Amino acid sequence: MSQATSLEGNAASFEDHEKYIQDSPKAVRWNGGHSPFNISYGKIMMWFFLISDSFTFGALLISYGSKRYFTNIWPDANLAFGETPFTGEAHYPLVFVSIMTFILILSSVTMVLAVHAGHYMDKKGVIRWLLLTIIGGLAFLACQTWEWSDLFREGAWWGRYVDPTQVSIASLSHLFDPAVAAKMSLYEAMQATTNFYNYFFTITGFHGCHVFSGVCLNVMILINTANGTYERRGHYEMVEKVGLYWHFVDLVWVFVFTCFYLL
Amino acid sequence: MVPDSETNKHVYLYEHDQSALYSGVLNPHKHSTIDSGESKKQIRKIVKITIYLAIVTTLEVLLGLWHHHEHVLASGVVNAMFLCMTVFKAYLIVDVFMHLGNEIRNFVMAVLIPLTLFSWFIIAFLADGHHFIHMNNTRADTQKIEVFQANE
Repeated sequence: MSQATSLEGNAASFEDHEKYIQDSPKAVRWNGGHSPFNISYGKIMMWFFLISDSFTFGALLISYGSKRYFTNIWPDANLAFGETPFTGEAHYPLVFVSIMTFILILSSVTMVLAVHAGHYMDKKGVIRWLLLTIIGGLAFLACQTWEWSDLFREGAWWGRYVDPTQVSIASLSHLFDPAVAAKMSLYEAMQATTNFYNYFFTITGFHGCHVFSGVCLNVMILINTANGTYERRGHYEMVEKVGLYWHFVDLVWVFVFTCFYLL
Repeated sequence: MVPDSETNKHVYLYEHDQSALYSGVLNPHKHSTIDSGESKKQIRKIVKITIYLAIVTTLEVLLGLWHHHEHVLASGVVNAMFLCMTVFKAYLIVDVFMHLGNEIRNFVMAVLIPLTLFSWFIIAFLADGHHFIHMNNTRADTQKIEVFQANE
């Protein structure tokens, strides 16, 4: 087997490539060009970034969990979130947020189809699926904007509910299970509500920042794809790397959805 | 040792577009088309996983609504079910959408082993929260005081 053949990746399998490396003179091995994980540098680094990012999100969610665990009472998510656009004052728990979840899952699917099209050098396919991914990301951000502004209109924001002269039990009782609301003290209710909304806005905001930067990256690779940059380069690896990031954002939402709306 | 022409090519690749070194890794289906049987098989798998994700999410929402209105099962049981479904969804996304299932075992381990730190992370912080609420509700373990427990 000639060296050039193997370097261009035409080895029948990873094992063949390994055997080729092992059989080569030492000098050739020291020239590099050997990937022990059979995966490119850029993708390895994206994975390692995602590991570190998962610890950032993990720290936020675990901090939220422990705060919730060491408080005697906690607002009921089904009562706190339930507003849906175009339904007025009606309260439908979980409906709007499950629409958001489906939007993000579908945009993850269109992203994996863009990556798939890239594997087969199908430029038109990559453009089509990336466009749909961007639309999905923007739709998710629009939903989140609506949800945040609706909560803000109701008076929820970072650092609210800390002044006992401004807050009464009556103004907080709609957030709690009626059995809890009947017995709770103002101090307990204020502490729990403040913690609840601080964590909600911090974590969904941090996730929203990730969605926004993911949309920006998707727009960048869409422009590059349309310009033919990746076609000339001979591979669509950049779409794969951004795809990993985008799937990670979807993955984090799966956990945020569970932690905030279900548990 | 005088490098031969092939070694030169090697150096050339390394100094310029490094990704060309891995083009076989990056682009295994370069010589196939999107309409090929192999491609269609992969698309069918993606669609299958999408349906699984949709079903599990719908189940989560229905379970959440049912638990909110009826409250038949204990909250602990429902929460354990939610966590199992969440981890299952995470597994599907990482395995198929992020293609971790297609990587070699060593790389999968390089990604997953650091994540086992989460087990310490979760246990330590929940234990801390448990200790805190105990101290808070007993005046630092000096007396039993009547506190309101929402989960009673």
